Amino acid sequence: MIEIKDVSKSFKITRKQKKERGLPAGQRRINAVNQVTLTCRPGRIFTLLGPNGAGKTTLLRMVATMLKPDSGTIKVAGFDTRRQSQQVRRSIGFLTGSTELYKRLTPREIVRYYASLFGIRREVYEKREKELFDLLEIQEFAGKRVGKLSTGMKQKVSIARTMIHDPGVVVFDEPTVGLDVLTSKNIIRLIRDCRDRGKTVIFSTHIMGEVGLLSDDMAIIHRGEILYSGSFDEFLQRKKGRTIEDEFVRIIGGNHD
Amino acid sequence: MTKTGIIFKKEVLDILREKRTVITMILLPLLVFPVIMTFAARITASQAQKAGEKTLKVAYISRGNAEELTRLLKETRDLELVTDRPRAEALEGIKEDSLDFLIEVAADFDQKVATGRTGDITLYYKLSNEVEITRGRVRKLLNRVREIYLESRLREVQLEPSFVRTVEISEVDVSTVQEKIGHYAGGFLPYLFILFCFFGAMYPAIDLGAGEKERYTIETLLASPVSRMEIVLGKFLVVFMAGVTSAVLAIVGLFIAIKQIPEIPPQILESIIKIVEIKSILLMLSLLIPLCAFFAALLLSFSIFANSFKEAQSLMTPMNFLVILPAAAGLLPGVKLTTVTALIPVLNVSLATKEIVSGTMEPGLLVLVYLVMFALAGVSLWFCSRWFNRENVIFRGI
Repeated sequence: MIEIKDVSKSFKITRKQKKERGLPAGQRRINAVNQVTLTCRPGRIFTLLGPNGAGKTTLLRMVATMLKPDSGTIKVAGFDTRRQSQQVRRSIGFLTGSTELYKRLTPREIVRYYASLFGIRREVYEKREKELFDLLEIQEFAGKRVGKLSTGMKQKVSIARTMIHDPGVVVFDEPTVGLDVLTSKNIIRLIRDCRDRGKTVIFSTHIMGEVGLLSDDMAIIHRGEILYSGSFDEFLQRKKGRTIEDEFVRIIGGNHD
Repeated sequence: MTKTGIIFKKEVLDILREKRTVITMILLPLLVFPVIMTFAARITASQAQKAGEKTLKVAYISRGNAEELTRLLKETRDLELVTDRPRAEALEGIKEDSLDFLIEVAADFDQKVATGRTGDITLYYKLSNEVEITRGRVRKLLNRVREIYLESRLREVQLEPSFVRTVEISEVDVSTVQEKIGHYAGGFLPYLFILFCFFGAMYPAIDLGAGEKERYTIETLLASPVSRMEIVLGKFLVVFMAGVTSAVLAIVGLFIAIKQIPEIPPQILESIIKIVEIKSILLMLSLLIPLCAFFAALLLSFSIFANSFKEAQSLMTPMNFLVILPAAAGLLPGVKLTTVTALIPVLNVSLATKEIVSGTMEPGLLVLVYLVMFALAGVSLWFCSRWFNRENVIFRGI
């Protein structure tokens, strides 16, 4: 379970950002996330939909304890991200589309490295490694350096790394960005599989097709604010014959920049 | 194993598989001195030998004067005397390298010498490395001529040569061989320490900080149940180890190089071996520890701030001067380890190493250098960990 309550986060803006975004000279900070309240339940996929720069990554980084909220609270698996960050991190798996792997290490070395950081006992690890490597068909390239693997192979290794400690909560930040169709399908299968195994899943995207494929619950975020939050079924009822894309544009006010 | 230990182990494995790091951290420091010194020694020796054995082509204009000199020149072996070349042509020959020297005796030479005045002889040459050696041969000959004329003049007035040699000055250097080596190598060794320490640590620092950000792997690491202090410490230890390894290998390389050169007299070799005595090594290593810790924390801080390899490199380039300048200042004459210079980072290590190698280190000053360097290392590590905790640094631009 992920419980996000009245969470806000702002960043100091640089001169360059001010110029790029046409912000007033006196403005020093920008609200990346503003008064966000959300709940993601176990056994369901929560989709966070928003255009680039909407605040999705900032929100998910706060869930994963990488960033601290300025105000509000986030609880992951019952642990407060501010006060119990270590327990939170133990409970989550974090996968993004932009993250690469250590190209000079082998898949086995990488997965073992993270397993050690998560404090998994050797015998448990060996069993879990075998299960995951068999499931994801990593065995045949487990000893090769990551730098020599294809994008699809690397993504499988990333999945194994994310799931090695069998997390109860899985955070996917735009996990299919830049991936080909086949590799994206693997990710989508993994997200569904996590849901089917009763895990709490939150994933962010700006790809409308993925929303329809995966969402149980969803929220639309734009300029740091939640403009819609509810179940995907409710969203479908609301759109009244419009496409998901049209409804999304209607909600964000058609003024996406 | 602790989390810091796990990170350290993984990072070591990772950087040792990076060719660039292996080259700058291991191969370059180990090989640079044996290769440079071997080549330099061979080239210098062969040039010196060639210059020493070379038949010199010397133009000679005496205008019938200086009979003694003419006789000596004719008697000298490995010397081809050219007597028929006019002055201007001979000078042109020197410029074009067809002649090595021109010896010109003044037209009034004999007359002046005969009347108790000073006769003039001019030696013309074009200075080069080779001429620096061959000039000695010609100067020796000319000095001999001067002595002959002086002796003959003294004989005329029935005096001994010692009459004009009023004072005989002797010089005796009472410093030990170790002190002598310390004087020369002592200025050089800190340079090795400091530069290799810095450059050996630079690539691992870039890879472990900016590289991790560039690959976005920093996110997955921060999402793991590891504290930021453990991450910083794990990475810091790798960069620190790289700096120490590099500096130690540079010293090893230097001693390999010295042993390879047969021209070094055995007593000097013996003294060098004395320098690598356990006490000196331990003292030098103990200076290396805070120095490397300071560099590691500083480099890691810059690297963590940068978003890419390229940015990290450009941020670190000005740092080279901050390292090289104080290290070079230690080589300047008159700059000694005092209570003031002991407070200046990098320069103090440079000067203290010099003193250790010479065997003249004052314990009080050494303690002061340790205090300054360990305090600095501690502050820079503290700064690095604080820096790593700042969201606007870690997520700057990502």
